[in-house]
Amino acid sequence: MTQEPFFIGWTNRLPPGMRLPVLGVAAGLVVVMLALSVLLAQGAGGGGAGNWAGDAVLRGTFTARPYPLLHLPPDAAHKQGHTVLLSAFGKAQIPDAARHDGQAMQAAGALIRRGDLDMLAVNDPAQLQPAEGIAPPLPPVKLGRWRLSGEICDGKCAAGAMRPGSGLAHRACASLCLAGDIPPVLVSVEPVAGSVFFLLAGPDGGAVSPALLRLTGVRLQLDGDLERQGDLLVFRADPATVRVL
Amino acid sequence: MLLIVQIYAACGVAAAGAFLLWGLDRTVPQARGAYAFRPLLLPGLVLLWPLVLWRWAVLASGRAAPPPGRHYRATHRAVWTVLAVLLPALLVAALALRQDAGRDPAPLQLSAPAP
Repeated sequence: MTQEPFFIGWTNRLPPGMRLPVLGVAAGLVVVMLALSVLLAQGAGGGGAGNWAGDAVLRGTFTARPYPLLHLPPDAAHKQGHTVLLSAFGKAQIPDAARHDGQAMQAAGALIRRGDLDMLAVNDPAQLQPAEGIAPPLPPVKLGRWRLSGEICDGKCAAGAMRPGSGLAHRACASLCLAGDIPPVLVSVEPVAGSVFFLLAGPDGGAVSPALLRLTGVRLQLDGDLERQGDLLVFRADPATVRVL
Repeated sequence: MLLIVQIYAACGVAAAGAFLLWGLDRTVPQARGAYAFRPLLLPGLVLLWPLVLWRWAVLASGRAAPPPGRHYRATHRAVWTVLAVLLPALLVAALALRQDAGRDPAPLQLSAPAP
């Protein structure tokens, strides 16, 4: 009768002839997976590392269309003013946003920042209060019609609330955030007018169609009109032109 | 369609319950007196209940083939050899075919802003 190595689970030990190959394969898998994770992470989207930037109190002009934004007046760092995306706690939009449209407001919450994209999570609705003495935002600047490529993400996670905040692995989270009317952004690889983040809007400047928002987590191409509101680029994407790359 | 799935699942639950309570002890002598693992079999039994009933009937009739011998280990070796090549190949192919941001077309201005 020949003696062959045979693995028996409950003995808690491997036959001598199997130890080296099994340990070698196990160690090799760990090394390969670590190397793969590092290599694949190199190709992650640009725009800087997103992060929670602490609590902030911001004062500016609130607009609700296409999504809640706070337009901060120009300062030394932002000559054209600074436009911040707004959300409520979790995966939800600011409640009753239309009620504050065009008003000067003070908002307090958690600031999330990735590159030049800022998102303020106003976790407590009471922290959104009317304010006075704030200069109105500069009028939008038209930048023409563009064909842009990138990925549709929710503006909260893309700004750094989640890691990863984009890509296929983040698709379910992005879908839930967008279902909660978190402002959607198109994240591109190559910048236009200095930014790779574009707040998405419908062709009429309103909210994006649900059919387009279902295409999260995939790289796609869209045509639309681009405009700058403060330092935020707003892309009025035409859903009829969408092409998955 | 949903009704068909519901009927299939209901039959599966009934067949799985009967097999775990009576069939398993008669067809797999090694399982007699062991109960903790049985709930773990439930999902598979519900899913594959026609196959379960067929194998139960074959084993109960005594027409089943003799217990597996060494040919099972040979098959096992062949399957794992194939998987050892196939799984890395699938991983590499998936990585090669996946969407890559680096291949995105550059932004293109289609028209200048109206004056």
